[in-house]
Amino acid sequence: MRLAFILGEIGSGLRRNLSMVVSVILVTFVSLTFVGAAGMLQMQINQMKGYWYDKVQVAIFLCNESSTAAGCASGAVTDEQRDNLGKMLESPAVKQYISDFQFESQAEAFQHFKDQFSNSPIVDSVTQDQLPASFRINMKDPEKYQIISETFSSQPGVETVSDQRQVLERIFVWMNGASVVAMGIAVVMIVCAVLLITTTIRLSAFSRRRETGIMRLVGASKTVIQLPFILEGVIAAVVGALLASGTLWLVTLWLNGDLSRQFLNTPFISSAQVLVVAPVLIALGGGLAGIASLLTLRRYLKV
Amino acid sequence: MIRFENVTKVYDPNARPALDDVSLEIERGEFTFLVGASGSGKSTFLRLILKEDRATSGSVYVAGQNVANISSWRVPRLRRGIGVVFQDFRLLPQKNVFANVAFAMQVIGKSRSIIRETVPEVLKTVGLEGKEKRMPHELSGGEQQRVAIARAVVNRPGILLADEPTGNLDPITSMGIMGVLDKINQNGTTVVMATHDDDIVNEMRKRVVELRNGVVVRDEAKALYTSMIPVVGESRLLKDASDEELDRATGGQQ
Repeated sequence: MRLAFILGEIGSGLRRNLSMVVSVILVTFVSLTFVGAAGMLQMQINQMKGYWYDKVQVAIFLCNESSTAAGCASGAVTDEQRDNLGKMLESPAVKQYISDFQFESQAEAFQHFKDQFSNSPIVDSVTQDQLPASFRINMKDPEKYQIISETFSSQPGVETVSDQRQVLERIFVWMNGASVVAMGIAVVMIVCAVLLITTTIRLSAFSRRRETGIMRLVGASKTVIQLPFILEGVIAAVVGALLASGTLWLVTLWLNGDLSRQFLNTPFISSAQVLVVAPVLIALGGGLAGIASLLTLRRYLKV
Repeated sequence: MIRFENVTKVYDPNARPALDDVSLEIERGEFTFLVGASGSGKSTFLRLILKEDRATSGSVYVAGQNVANISSWRVPRLRRGIGVVFQDFRLLPQKNVFANVAFAMQVIGKSRSIIRETVPEVLKTVGLEGKEKRMPHELSGGEQQRVAIARAVVNRPGILLADEPTGNLDPITSMGIMGVLDKINQNGTTVVMATHDDDIVNEMRKRVVELRNGVVVRDEAKALYTSMIPVVGESRLLKDASDEELDRATGGQQ
């Protein structure tokens, strides 16, 4: 009975305040979309870092059958050339600059590639032969990349020496900037959302002061009086959070559809990762609305 | 049932107290009129019983319990034992008569079947049989006040507080309302009624407690409303009234 009563009260509150409720939904929707976008951008960065950044600072790519670089005129790298490069890396002249290195065979490269692009259609069109074997070098000082590059790029069997860190870093700086901007907008929007929820609850409490006055006098508990108002705010915010999650899900669909066909070599976050973000958004929206409503009621609804 | 021990209530430290060292006991089942001019402390007296306000000093006991010792989460329980009726009825305009009375039971979690059983009984007690489906605006003032009384007593409180319940009603309708209140009183409910209405007080011949400037100046059984006689030296010009007194005179009839 009491539950039915509270639900009825929530219904009438939402109906009476419809325009305000819609605005709360929209503002929380926009603000949480930005929060979610910032979060997912970070996930995207981590996803890219996870494979590239932490493992690889400098890569010496070795020739394969299809290499076109000048150093690869004699065809794919031979075992002898490869061993020779390995010895050079061990030699004191080079060793002082690097902390360690690994050899990544074509088979390993293919495996990594498959893992990383598991969301992308490109996997099906790539074979092991097309990928180069490489030495992956962790530098003691990444700034000394030039020395490695000069030493190895002219060696037989070396296709190219690349410092992926620099390329990636630029992308990550840009992406980090974007996520900071998104977070900044999100914070402003969340402040708006909280203020709007506060105003809405105040209006709602005001428009129903007759009912709440009577409830108080006949001895309704604080919960019965306040819960409808709090849930009103929470429901509106959660609807906004659901809309935000839906939007982010659509964005990941787009990333993994259209965009992954255009940027074949970028691993995009999957739609499944929205499932990680969505509960956070819902909890954040609901929690903020609940707290804002509670504080407002404490001031404007005497019990 | 209700006991005031040296109760003083000060709203504004610069003005005189709303209640000044009031000691009073109202027995279970009694019918008591609280009379006095506006600003004499009648509404404050009722508010203290409901724990709407806290006494500045002294103790208020309701049903043997010092209300100062009731924690805030148990105040609803105190209020369930007290019904309240106002001059302005305070019905919910979008609910019909039945729903208005049922509302008081719904919010404290009474089951649907008990509500369906109790509400018609109470409506019969206040003389509103057959008017369950009417909306408040379709009722006369007297009928609206009967609905308000039904709502106040539907949870069977031990105490009924009435703050000028006949203030908006004509004399004949008022007498009808008094009949209802008297009936409720005879069923064992303690009734405290604040009023200006001398005809009613003189007609009923019940206990009269007269307040003036926050002090009990008269407490008489089976008494008349005699405070209409002006007291020389007590009247003041309106411009001398304090802000708080003006406030209470204009909007304080809660």
